[in-house]
Amino acid sequence: MKFATIILSLLSAACVSAADLVKVSFEKDILPILEENCFSCHGDGEAKGDLSLDEFKTASDVHRGYKIWEKVRKLVLANEMPPENKKKRPNARQRALLADWTRHTLDTFYRTAPADPGRVTVRRLNRTEYNNTIRDLMRVDFMPAKDFPADDSGYGFDNIGDVLTMSPLLMEKYFAAAEKIAAKAVAIPDADGRIAATPFQKIYFRYPVPPKLRRNAAEAFVRTFLTRAYRRPVRPEEVRRLMILAKQVVDEGASFEQGIRMAVAATLVSPHFLFRWELDGAPKNPKAIRSLNEHELASRISFFIWNSMPDDALLELAKRGQLRKNLPTQIRRMLRDPKAQSFVTNFTGQWLQLRNLEMLQPDKRLFSAFNNAVRSDMRRETEMLFAHVMRDNRSVVDLLDANYSFVNDRLANWYGLKNVKGGQFRRVSLAGTPRGGVLTHASVLTLTSDPNRTSPVKRGNFVLENILGTPPPPPPDNVPDLEPSAELKGTLRQQMVKHRENPVCASCHQKMDPIGFAFENFDAVGRWRTLDNGAPIDAASQLDTGEKFRDATGLRKILAVRKRDLFVRCLTEKMLTFALGRGLKFYDKRAVDGIMKQMGRDGFKFETLVTGIVKSLPFDMKRGEEGK
Amino acid sequence: MIRSTHIPRRTFLRGLGTALALPAFEAMLPARALAAGNAKFPTRMAFVYIPNGVIPDKWHVKGKGSDFQFSHILEPLKAHRDDLLVFSGLAHTKARSNGDGAGDHARANATFLTGRQARKTAGADIRVGVSVDQLAAQKIGGQTRLPSLELSSDGRRMSGNCDSGYSCAYQFNLAWKSESTPLPPESDPSLVFERLFSNGNNREKNENRIRRERYKKSILDFVLEDAKALEKKLGYTDQRKLEEYLTSVRELEKRVTASGASAVDLPKGFKVPAGKPRDFGAHVRMMADMMALAFQTDSTRVATYLLAHDGDNRSYPHLGVKGGHHSLSHHRNNSRNISDLTKINRYHCELFAHLLDRLKSIKEGDETLLDHSMIVYGGAIGDGNRHTHHDLPVVLAGKANGAIKTGRHAICPRETPMANLFLNMLDIMGAPTQRMGDSTGRLKGLL
Repeated sequence: MKFATIILSLLSAACVSAADLVKVSFEKDILPILEENCFSCHGDGEAKGDLSLDEFKTASDVHRGYKIWEKVRKLVLANEMPPENKKKRPNARQRALLADWTRHTLDTFYRTAPADPGRVTVRRLNRTEYNNTIRDLMRVDFMPAKDFPADDSGYGFDNIGDVLTMSPLLMEKYFAAAEKIAAKAVAIPDADGRIAATPFQKIYFRYPVPPKLRRNAAEAFVRTFLTRAYRRPVRPEEVRRLMILAKQVVDEGASFEQGIRMAVAATLVSPHFLFRWELDGAPKNPKAIRSLNEHELASRISFFIWNSMPDDALLELAKRGQLRKNLPTQIRRMLRDPKAQSFVTNFTGQWLQLRNLEMLQPDKRLFSAFNNAVRSDMRRETEMLFAHVMRDNRSVVDLLDANYSFVNDRLANWYGLKNVKGGQFRRVSLAGTPRGGVLTHASVLTLTSDPNRTSPVKRGNFVLENILGTPPPPPPDNVPDLEPSAELKGTLRQQMVKHRENPVCASCHQKMDPIGFAFENFDAVGRWRTLDNGAPIDAASQLDTGEKFRDATGLRKILAVRKRDLFVRCLTEKMLTFALGRGLKFYDKRAVDGIMKQMGRDGFKFETLVTGIVKSLPFDMKRGEEGK
Repeated sequence: MIRSTHIPRRTFLRGLGTALALPAFEAMLPARALAAGNAKFPTRMAFVYIPNGVIPDKWHVKGKGSDFQFSHILEPLKAHRDDLLVFSGLAHTKARSNGDGAGDHARANATFLTGRQARKTAGADIRVGVSVDQLAAQKIGGQTRLPSLELSSDGRRMSGNCDSGYSCAYQFNLAWKSESTPLPPESDPSLVFERLFSNGNNREKNENRIRRERYKKSILDFVLEDAKALEKKLGYTDQRKLEEYLTSVRELEKRVTASGASAVDLPKGFKVPAGKPRDFGAHVRMMADMMALAFQTDSTRVATYLLAHDGDNRSYPHLGVKGGHHSLSHHRNNSRNISDLTKINRYHCELFAHLLDRLKSIKEGDETLLDHSMIVYGGAIGDGNRHTHHDLPVVLAGKANGAIKTGRHAICPRETPMANLFLNMLDIMGAPTQRMGDSTGRLKGLL
């Protein structure tokens, strides 16, 4: 393709395919744009903001300066550079070419850059992980973290080490919880010296414990308990210190069990319990790359799939150095364990934003049938589809394209499906219906709506961000005012066309809106409809990349077939982020590519995705941190 | 078997946060203020944040000085006219893009009390600045049982990405203890209550309390030693995480040590909150009551309250408003949207009026708690439709022990940094500083 044709295609779509971008030359095509528009401040001796772009003479110079160029790309794309008051500013075509080429050339560079596992910031247990860990460690299940302050999230997830901060308030809560948990998990003798041993106590002690054996029993307890709580072998010194603490209580006349309580409470507020440390020999040397030891690996896998501590089987394998050798078996076992439900809930709750359903309040007058029962049915359906794909090791593309789903009578009624009786969920065929895949689940349709109407923009944005992994650039800073509109008539879609006549808005909205229009047959609580505002709905449209479709079913096919790789990549990136607890960096592209390749070989199976993540460089290894 | 009758099961290791049935004692005057022989009542400082900007011409008052007329939105505060200082012209220029692109809601929320530009990151290296309330708390927080109190109406967080590439930490926290450590707010009034009153009460036997606190102290020492053992083995960021942990433990330690003197009694007839009300208005009023209670009992002198996070899309069906707040705030000059937004803006003022009513109903000497407070109500977005960050909606209520002359409308020069007001407030709190955020100097003529 000649450059002139590239320009032509740019004019129509402001987007160039990767194949065309290969042919763009930095020297011939990019440099002139820079010279013309940027050099007056950032070149020819000028270096405003310490940036001189004339230092970059070839594409490999750009690679070396990737940090600068990522920023340049962002600012150019956001129309912030060159600033508005400059006479010379690139046109839309030049901006798009600059941005797309930079993306392309940097991505190519990232894929070929030296392997780097990156570094995960130490992760504090978040509320879910704390609850689950306490359940598994202490055999009490009362969600002690429900009163903790909400965890902040980053990169779309609430298990990101960098953002999980510690505050005095949280510390207070940890102390209070530790004491409550210790009191629940360890019973003390009644006035007659009898004790109703709890499940926790029965793991570690055989009652009655004769006074003579108490010291030994306590020490054995502390050693085993600490190994589980700290998820690693413990040092004699650590055992000794906790024994001293427990003894202090007993020496003052309290019971043996009260001593145990003290030891438990102290353990549960120790930094070794609350944080997942992976200590390095050279923590401040970014070149010091190492494999995780098997205990660290066991923790990473366990917190990934169970959002909880490793069980004895994992710890035992780690202790014998056999975990890496048994990964596929262990992963399969873990995915089928009921504890994996936590992964289903947490991952879908954040990736597909199902958590937001809890907070939405559809307009009561417009959607009087909506209630809390339907709300939880909606969430349940999507979780069940995900769990099904996970447990049956199906293709992840089923999430987009399944012609079956899981409903009870209420949800069937919501969807207009016949012959579903009773409140229990069961698998039903969706063949011949307009539904299929999570995008037509009432859950997703509702949480991408406003309280009183659908929002094609939100729905389109949701697909771009969470399904295709191609989020539209954020809205420009200075959106010009739209003319005050008279009472708008017609369908929402007809009203929105007006909105898109504005060229500033159009460039992004032509990406989002068509996708959203496809779902206009589903109202703001996910029910089927054929009219909007009294006028018939037209769900047909065309993506900005050219594909045409008639309705949601047509769009679904495009997403599941032609855009399949984008979807699989997007899901892989989201899951890798969740698994690592950090945002992905440029050097992670290599790992994502590798996982995608493995998945492509066996039909995009769910287990292949999870195993691929666990075996990937960033999950399996780590390095020291670079200085700031 | 060794049995102990000295430590009843109920109190063994019972600590902060456990449920308590509290007897109603006579309302007490702030103990330390009096004990110190200080005739003056302590000055309290609070900030209440409203999201998504306002409809400017329905917010701004007409006339200046004491000769001003209430606007439609501010009208619910009319009863408190003499206690109000209405500001025009304040700005938060660091909430602007300044080269960082979209994300005005996250920035507004993060800048409001810090006056600093939030570093644009979805997670790694979050950074903004120490907030004004924390600057005060650092200086005077030691005089009360809690250095500061953080409140919010948003208990549950939206999932998914927050505003345009900014970590959610920016959008859901107002108070920042350090540049990188936000203080998460509490949203359940019953938990706030527990926090205020769970540190023992006069009925608990002194002996038990002392023992309990000693055990707690032992645990604190134990974990501090654990943490210290880690110190040398960490990278830069992990080290910061450990420091957050250490700071938190030490703060708790201070509180345990001081708690003997700080048992607080519940004012007579106070209704103990049972949980978090579903209704937003009821919830906000209850949180306001908690703030007033914390001030009344001198449990703290510094508070922040995120009435709703910026970008919030709550719906207000009982106002007859259709659509979510944020969606509406981009009103496209549609008259229906503008009138709906005005209703929401005004409703928030009604809720704020409840806090002022409450503070005013509490007598302190010949005056009221409100007379001894300064409560800033406002946000870091001016016009919600355009995401402007100048001419911010800001009202200050309370005379701060006579340090502030109220009952008037102060017109500041355009683009006056809001942080300048913070400098004055820090002076009043006895925590003066030369600069904070983007401050350029103190406001003149507060008195």
